[in-house]
Amino acid sequence: MRIIASFTKQEPVKFVSHLDMQRLFQRAFRRAELPLAYSQGFNPHPLLSFATALSVGYTSDCEYFDITLSEPVPPDEFAERVNAVLPNGVRIIDAIDAGEFKASLTPLMRSAEYSAVLAFESPVTKAALESAISELLSGEIIVDKKTKGGIKPVDIRPQLIALRLTAYDDDRASFDIEGRLTAEGGLPLELLFRALYGKLGVCAVSFVNRKKIVMDWSQMK
Amino acid sequence: MDDKVRNMTREERLNSLIAKVEKPTRYMGGELNMRVKSGDGLYRFALCFPDTYEIGMSHLGSRIIYNVLNKRDDTYCERCYAPWVDMEALLRESGEKLFSIETKRPLDEFDVIGFSLLYEMCYTNILTMLDLSGIPLLARERGEDCPLVCAGGPCVCNPEPIADIVDLFFFGDGEELVNDFMDCYARCKKNGASKREMLLEMSGIEGIYVPAFYRAEYENGQFSRLVKTEEKAPDTVTRRIVRDLDKAEFTGDLIVPYMNIVHDRIALELFRGCTRGCRFCQAGFIYRPIRERKMNTMIAYADEQLKCTGHDEVSLFSLSSGDYTEIHEMVPTVLERYTKDKVSVSFPSLRIDSFLKDDLEKMQGVRKTGLTFAPEAGTQRLRDVINKGVTEEDLLRTVRDAFEAGWQGVKLYFMIGLPTETDEDILGIAELARKVSREFYSMPKEKRGKGLRCTVSASTFVPKPFTPFQWEPQITVEEVLRRQALLRGALKGIRGVEFNCHFSETSRLEACYARGDRRLAAVMVAAYRRGARFDSWDEHFKKEAWDEAFIENGLTIEQFANRRIGLDEPLAWAHMDALVTMDYLKREYNKAYEGAVTGDCREKCNGCFGAKIAGYCDMHCPGSKFNKAEEQEGGDK
Repeated sequence: MRIIASFTKQEPVKFVSHLDMQRLFQRAFRRAELPLAYSQGFNPHPLLSFATALSVGYTSDCEYFDITLSEPVPPDEFAERVNAVLPNGVRIIDAIDAGEFKASLTPLMRSAEYSAVLAFESPVTKAALESAISELLSGEIIVDKKTKGGIKPVDIRPQLIALRLTAYDDDRASFDIEGRLTAEGGLPLELLFRALYGKLGVCAVSFVNRKKIVMDWSQMK
Repeated sequence: MDDKVRNMTREERLNSLIAKVEKPTRYMGGELNMRVKSGDGLYRFALCFPDTYEIGMSHLGSRIIYNVLNKRDDTYCERCYAPWVDMEALLRESGEKLFSIETKRPLDEFDVIGFSLLYEMCYTNILTMLDLSGIPLLARERGEDCPLVCAGGPCVCNPEPIADIVDLFFFGDGEELVNDFMDCYARCKKNGASKREMLLEMSGIEGIYVPAFYRAEYENGQFSRLVKTEEKAPDTVTRRIVRDLDKAEFTGDLIVPYMNIVHDRIALELFRGCTRGCRFCQAGFIYRPIRERKMNTMIAYADEQLKCTGHDEVSLFSLSSGDYTEIHEMVPTVLERYTKDKVSVSFPSLRIDSFLKDDLEKMQGVRKTGLTFAPEAGTQRLRDVINKGVTEEDLLRTVRDAFEAGWQGVKLYFMIGLPTETDEDILGIAELARKVSREFYSMPKEKRGKGLRCTVSASTFVPKPFTPFQWEPQITVEEVLRRQALLRGALKGIRGVEFNCHFSETSRLEACYARGDRRLAAVMVAAYRRGARFDSWDEHFKKEAWDEAFIENGLTIEQFANRRIGLDEPLAWAHMDALVTMDYLKREYNKAYEGAVTGDCREKCNGCFGAKIAGYCDMHCPGSKFNKAEEQEGGDK
């Protein structure tokens, strides 16, 4: 049986890397004494995969994984048993039976919504910030992106769906951001922020929360 | 702690630092089973490990102390590890102080700071940690408002090189000692005692050493004696032992790290102490007498910890697990019990004998790991000198069994520079490796694995206090390099054999600090100021910083590392009573030079504790399960 689950990743677990999240869940499943199915081969490991990775340091209200069990467990019971043994900061919100759907979750992803706070290192006026944002949205956003072939200039504007300033106070700006997120990749938030810092001439410390991953569940039939 | 500076809270500021480092999980905490306490009036104890998180979290002793202290209602023990160079730079740049893992409290706001000393080469990291907390490095510069700086662990055998840094040392087993210490601390605090009054009170506790009550004297450039400056302080400090290890406090619910730590498994100590008496091995002497945990206790710990951690690996360790009295029952029992749940069980330091041959296959059932052997020396002559009771036949028989059971990875550990070593002994190492290789390739192809992976590792011998070789010099760097080259050449072309050897510069400094005296604290501080950090990491070792620091202090590494100490010369650690007597060590020293071996002390008491045997070692008392003589006479088993 395969279960698809959504979970939160909050403080302090936000610093746990993608690879370490894998181990975190594997250990939790063992503590919950769940009947895990293992891969064949030299080094058997549980059949656990995540829809996508989350940048180290970001919190999230909704991430996805799927896990194969060797015996059926009702999804609600699965969530309950895992939640009882998870460390603070990680929680399963929902679990469903994947049924006949055998494929990876990754291709179902369409976009993601974030909230972000930027704490500027030196004072910035609201007017300057607003004009920098509208300038940013008005055309290409060329950033230096690290790729396999080295650092390349790339336009990330097509990846950006929406960027709204929601609050500004005490040199701290809050944003709602919507960006593409698919199997091919997504909006690189840090590069977007860097582009904004470039326009403002001021750097900031960023705090990011992923509010939602928009999935096309219709593919699951 | 919401001290907001401009537009960020302290928590946000620390978070922004943690977010910038290579491995944030070294600092973030919040792991499963981390102890959380709140309330005012708790004594704050920072258990510090002068190396990275992944190394410190792999140390069982610290995990025990963490549990012991946190079981107290009056104390909250938090952890802190040496910040890696990236975090150190960020802390300096931002002006933030080094903070604890649990509550992110700055280190200087703790009542007590306790360091674990496992290895001389981590001493400079102690300085980093104090410095980054704004705490003066030297004990005499710290006032009443500074935390009490303590240290425990095997290096306390010779605490003198860091005696000027530390206020108080814990000598020996910590399980009961730290409780006695905290009781005394609490009492003194309630009575409003000064730091000096408190230290004096504590110096009366068995196992506690307060260096400030003693002054070192020197003659002709050498240490001559330690003079008591405080009448009430004891003449010698006796090593503390836990008498009933089976009932002693253990780790409690084990913290489960998020990152991959060095020993990422459940570690259970079968017994403490060793009866073998290998003459180079400090652990073999400073953890005596042997004290076991019962098999059922071990299994109960394993059950509990597997349940509360979700780990899939258990390691049952000791200094020589084949000597565990219940080993032949234990190995099959635990393998049976755990491997069905895909938990792998390992027994490091286990001498595989004929009884255990059948279990070999099961042991590698879940995950194949390598087999390790430590003949230490290449010829029987030298193995007799060091009292390593392993013969060539033993080794070859065991590897044959292992190869037949399907293993193909073997690690062989040796030492270069052991007392009396000649080139013949070095070439003997290659000869032994050749025989292991032959053993593998002479087996029919269908019966053995594909290819042999035999790693020969040669470390450099470091003379350590409280071993029969404590008077011996370490060979010079040039000589180490020559012998390494000789061995490398001799190993060339042996099928399936690979050579590994440790860089000798750090071994030399280790030898220097292992047998050094109080003058070395100033050297360490000078080296630290010149950038010495993480000296055990080859990529960080700064030879020039140390060379200049020695010159600045008018001392040399050679005078500590490469000098033969006369048997009647004063030793800088003579005031530390490790229970094993100097007379015994001298007898062993002389026997080494005669090439005479000393039997296992299970067979017959060799008198290592001298007159102190009563109340400290009961191996040969009536009813002791170690008493083999009684067993044979009584014949009831």
